[in-house]
Amino acid sequence: MRPEIRFFLNGRPCRLSGLPPHTTLLEWLRGQGLTAVKEGCAEGDCGACSVLIGTPRRARLDWRAVNACILMLPQVDGRAVVTAEGLARGDGSLHPAQRLLADTHGTQCGFCSPGFAIALAALARRPERDDETILDAIAGNLCRCTGYRPILEAARALPVIAPAVEEAEIAATLERDCAQPLDYRAGGGRFVAPRDLDAALAVLAEEPEAWVLAGGTDLGLRITKRHEEPRCVVSLARVGELAAVGREGRDTVIGAAVPYADALEAISALAPSVGALVRRIGAAQIRAVGTIGGNLANASPIGDTLPPLIALGASVELASREGRRTVAVEDFVTGYRKTVLRPGEVVVSVRIPAPGAATLVRAYKVARRIDQDIAAVSAAFALSVEDGRVTRARVAFGGIAERPLRTPEVEVALTGRLWSLETARAAGEAARRAVRPISDVRGSAGYRATVCGNLLERLWWDTAGPAGVAATLDALEGAP
Amino acid sequence: MSPPGGVHAAVAHDSARKHVTGEAVYLDDMPEPKGCLHAHLVTSPWPHARLTAIDAAAALAVPGVAAIVTAADIPGVNDIAPAFSSEPLLPPEVAEYVGHPVAAVAAASPAQAREAASLVRLEATPLPALLDLREAYEKKRWVLDPVEMLRGEPDAELAKAAVRLDGELMVGGQEHFYLETQCALAVPQEDGDMLVLSGTQHPTEVQHMVARLLGIPQHAVAVEVRRMGGGFGGKESQATLVAGIAAVLARKTARPVKLRLDRDTDMTVTGKRHDFLLRWQVGLDGEGRIRAVTMDLAARCGWSADLSAAVISRALSHADNAYFYPHARLRGLACKTNTQSNTAFRGFGGPQGMMAAETMMDQIARTLGRDPVAIRRLNFYARESGCDVTPYHQRIEHFRLPSMVERILASSEYSTRRKAVDAFNAGSPVIRKGLALSPVKFGISFNKIELNQAGALVHVYTDGSIRLNHGGTEMGQGLLVKVAQVVAEAFSVPLEAVKITATTTDKVPNTSATAASSGSDLNGMAALQAAETIKGRLAEVAAARFGVAASEVAFADGMVRAGNHALPFAEIVQEAYRARVSLSATGYYRTPRIDFDLAAMRGHPFFYFAHGVAVSEVAIDTLTGEWRPLRSDLLHDVGSSLNPAIDRGQVEGAFVQGLGWLTMEELVWDGEGRLLTHGPSTYKIPTGRDVPPDFRVELLTLPNEEATVFRSKAVGEPPFMLAISVWLALRDAVASLGPAGHVPQLAAPATPERILGAVAAARTAGGRR
Repeated sequence: MRPEIRFFLNGRPCRLSGLPPHTTLLEWLRGQGLTAVKEGCAEGDCGACSVLIGTPRRARLDWRAVNACILMLPQVDGRAVVTAEGLARGDGSLHPAQRLLADTHGTQCGFCSPGFAIALAALARRPERDDETILDAIAGNLCRCTGYRPILEAARALPVIAPAVEEAEIAATLERDCAQPLDYRAGGGRFVAPRDLDAALAVLAEEPEAWVLAGGTDLGLRITKRHEEPRCVVSLARVGELAAVGREGRDTVIGAAVPYADALEAISALAPSVGALVRRIGAAQIRAVGTIGGNLANASPIGDTLPPLIALGASVELASREGRRTVAVEDFVTGYRKTVLRPGEVVVSVRIPAPGAATLVRAYKVARRIDQDIAAVSAAFALSVEDGRVTRARVAFGGIAERPLRTPEVEVALTGRLWSLETARAAGEAARRAVRPISDVRGSAGYRATVCGNLLERLWWDTAGPAGVAATLDALEGAP
Repeated sequence: MSPPGGVHAAVAHDSARKHVTGEAVYLDDMPEPKGCLHAHLVTSPWPHARLTAIDAAAALAVPGVAAIVTAADIPGVNDIAPAFSSEPLLPPEVAEYVGHPVAAVAAASPAQAREAASLVRLEATPLPALLDLREAYEKKRWVLDPVEMLRGEPDAELAKAAVRLDGELMVGGQEHFYLETQCALAVPQEDGDMLVLSGTQHPTEVQHMVARLLGIPQHAVAVEVRRMGGGFGGKESQATLVAGIAAVLARKTARPVKLRLDRDTDMTVTGKRHDFLLRWQVGLDGEGRIRAVTMDLAARCGWSADLSAAVISRALSHADNAYFYPHARLRGLACKTNTQSNTAFRGFGGPQGMMAAETMMDQIARTLGRDPVAIRRLNFYARESGCDVTPYHQRIEHFRLPSMVERILASSEYSTRRKAVDAFNAGSPVIRKGLALSPVKFGISFNKIELNQAGALVHVYTDGSIRLNHGGTEMGQGLLVKVAQVVAEAFSVPLEAVKITATTTDKVPNTSATAASSGSDLNGMAALQAAETIKGRLAEVAAARFGVAASEVAFADGMVRAGNHALPFAEIVQEAYRARVSLSATGYYRTPRIDFDLAAMRGHPFFYFAHGVAVSEVAIDTLTGEWRPLRSDLLHDVGSSLNPAIDRGQVEGAFVQGLGWLTMEELVWDGEGRLLTHGPSTYKIPTGRDVPPDFRVELLTLPNEEATVFRSKAVGEPPFMLAISVWLALRDAVASLGPAGHVPQLAAPATPERILGAVAAARTAGGRR
């Protein structure tokens, strides 16, 4: 085991010890004088603290923008970190992302600008330049001054940047220097990042109070907002078995530590509508680290992935030292932030069966903002329709109870019926009666119940409505 | 080097390159002085309570804690009211809202200060709290006496009107959400002096308040600000709270103290845009022409007056927007609630007043079955027909809207698209589109006349380089580069020859806040005047050298010229030095032609008006209330722009901020007065995807008829209100579901939930599901 955090910062190797493991990357970088990294919210919602994280992959670095405010320092072990200061070349010339932002008048007060430079620098490594990709790349960065138009202009003009030669060297150095798993202790805290599941379960057995961390986009808030200081953190992010996406027969198996960004392709292939929903989870910075495993284990009533997983009939594989077991996603979450997970047990993977060819799959998220918002209501449907008749239906809603729920009442109202607007409305009535939402800042109970019902109607227009009629805003020509 | 001069050029923000690299230093980025302490606030958990004890024993035992201060520790006068009095820095007896700072702790680290603050035990007797704007309005709970703007005989005329309509609208408040939260660093100096680095739009006010709090003369306090990470009005009066607490702690500990509010604290403690309850009665003739209007504009001021009197005054003076009210009585009501003390925010009451006018216009057009654009044009101010006097008795001159509306109707293809939208809606069962035009006429000058003055200080060094200082502050709006452009133009030197410096009270005293869109109008003129003073002296020197009259000397193309003579600027400067001629001057400007009687609410408060017009198209989902912007066309009047790139940025940024205000930004308090939306996870400002995908912005650059700095116009606030077109377009989409004459009931912000509610009401009115 290795007691020291090793990473690259702006091209130079760094070795750290002695700092409490819950120190955030933001706090540490600012302490180093790298003040381009700003605190705008300390909750991963504004992007002012964005930095690039390079992960060694196939002898190169895979760069993503992440929020430094909710990242614990040991999470960058084995990675390369670049701040806006490090984007500019040694000769003082600006990175194209920086030059374009300045030239298009994409800065006003400038406080968010280093974060935007990072978001665009991450985009510069990818070949796509369509507006959807661009909007996805900057959705996690708030600007209160410019109205974004010049920033979008800068993004559209961005060249595709090839990896620098030294990146392969850095990747190799990191692989070599961090070959041993991290077991970091300082200031009364411990951060362990085992490489295999047995080792992780062994640590959990000896540290029953440990925080189990995958991406940390939720646990990070306990540090920055609730000011908790974990005594021990067990990171699953480097456990090989949990980091893979694979196919087993008709099933897609997504490891619990796979970030959303890396699971997106497989999910979109299963159901494009669910892929579109995953693209609306947090923003790029969150999806680069946040995981479906974490979303499940957190058991938040508004977790975006649960309704589609339930509708698709997905199951979760769990492991502890006592052995492994599989639980249907709908049975996994038992209450408000409560699951069937036993002490010492972790989520290994989620297994999603491919929907049948005759199955219509749709996932809807209703929020006041398209990006980086929490749903007032979300819903997912998997409907098998044969000869115009619904033969099988799985329906789940989020945001309507203390946990996301499958609604058998709605399924009954659909199954065996002709797939018509009347059926959809009747099922909508059933949905309105079945859900028990609460009122909060995101919507009243009445609004939520109404929308749950109306989403059945949307489902009909969306899957069976007349051709040429835009039934959703996304289907509207010219809509963003 | 850029070419000499610079006014009207689209040059980049002076800090643009520094912004993107992170080189631009904000207050919290500065190296901390030796021994610097960090402060944290102790805030009231009660909306209204009489404090009986503040027990700091446990807090003081936390390692690293240096001091705690309460009202009793303020050496001078415990009052930071910007306009009136009785707004203590820390309340001596009564906490008036959840989040009211009642004490503050200083410790060696921010974490220690936070922990100590959480250990301070407050005891209090809860008092009855009033949390709701409508309740305060109905119970007549005011922080200030009601004011009235009166012209003609509105009651009699209303009674006689052919058509009479009543209306009411709730318009929500808005959190500034400057990306940089509030921050101040107070550094004790010799002789008990205090240096305060403050993220403030109003350094002079911070200086005066710190002096008052510490009981020392104003000359003993210096306040400096290089840049802010956004202000929008939120760092005008309310920066004094943060700076004041840092200064009191610094005085008590004799050490530097920094107070930086984290996002949740900032949102919980500081005031926001006032939400308004708007009610009106309007009398019309048979054509739809307004005969008389009465309005109540009731503002949630929160627990104290702050700047509310001026906010309400501006709301009243913009409740006409662009329309002639022959007879009008507009009442302004300053409602007191046990919530944050609401404050300045871009537009300063103007947007809320304008929402009354525009909603009323929409109601008139729909009720009468007339085209909303036609009704607006029918009621526009019109000099030729004598319809040109405002409710505050100022005569409207140089009214640009009729031709601007003409122009945007053509450029936006309004009538074609109107038909297309109607046709789309006729065949669209779920999605509905809406289209709307809205004009803006915004008065430029502070309503409080004495604030319309500014000073500048210009030094020319012997190498020809120039150091510029003035009272305006930089919060991202590009003020410093604009004023530098003015000075570069005056001397005909490249922009790089003019050094932009931090705003400090010890260089230019007694300044006004950088507010009311006035920054470049006031400071640009003051700096120009200083430059002209030095130019006059240099012209004498050049005249002597060239053997011509001083009046023949010109500063052009980077040279000082007269006839066939020409010398580089730096050479004349050196000659002036040798001739013992002063190369430094102050400049001073006061806005001409304005007067306003605040008690009678009449006069000529505005030097001129800035105009704008927008056409927006949106789509709504009638099943969920979600919506999308489709296209917005903006035409905005910037006069002879000092910097078209900066001005375009102001127009676009203001529009998107306004769009946020009217659609997605919602402040929610619980029944105990706790603000639930205190971070970006719950309070949603627009992201890049919320901007209209088809966004066409045009600047109207006709010179200002008034003699402003290079005939430019103020631009900070007016385009904010162009976003009303988006809100009206949402109403238009909803109206398509109702019967003819249906007036949608849609409050602001038009959240999906409110839109869906309005959809249901429209369908019910039409007898449909």
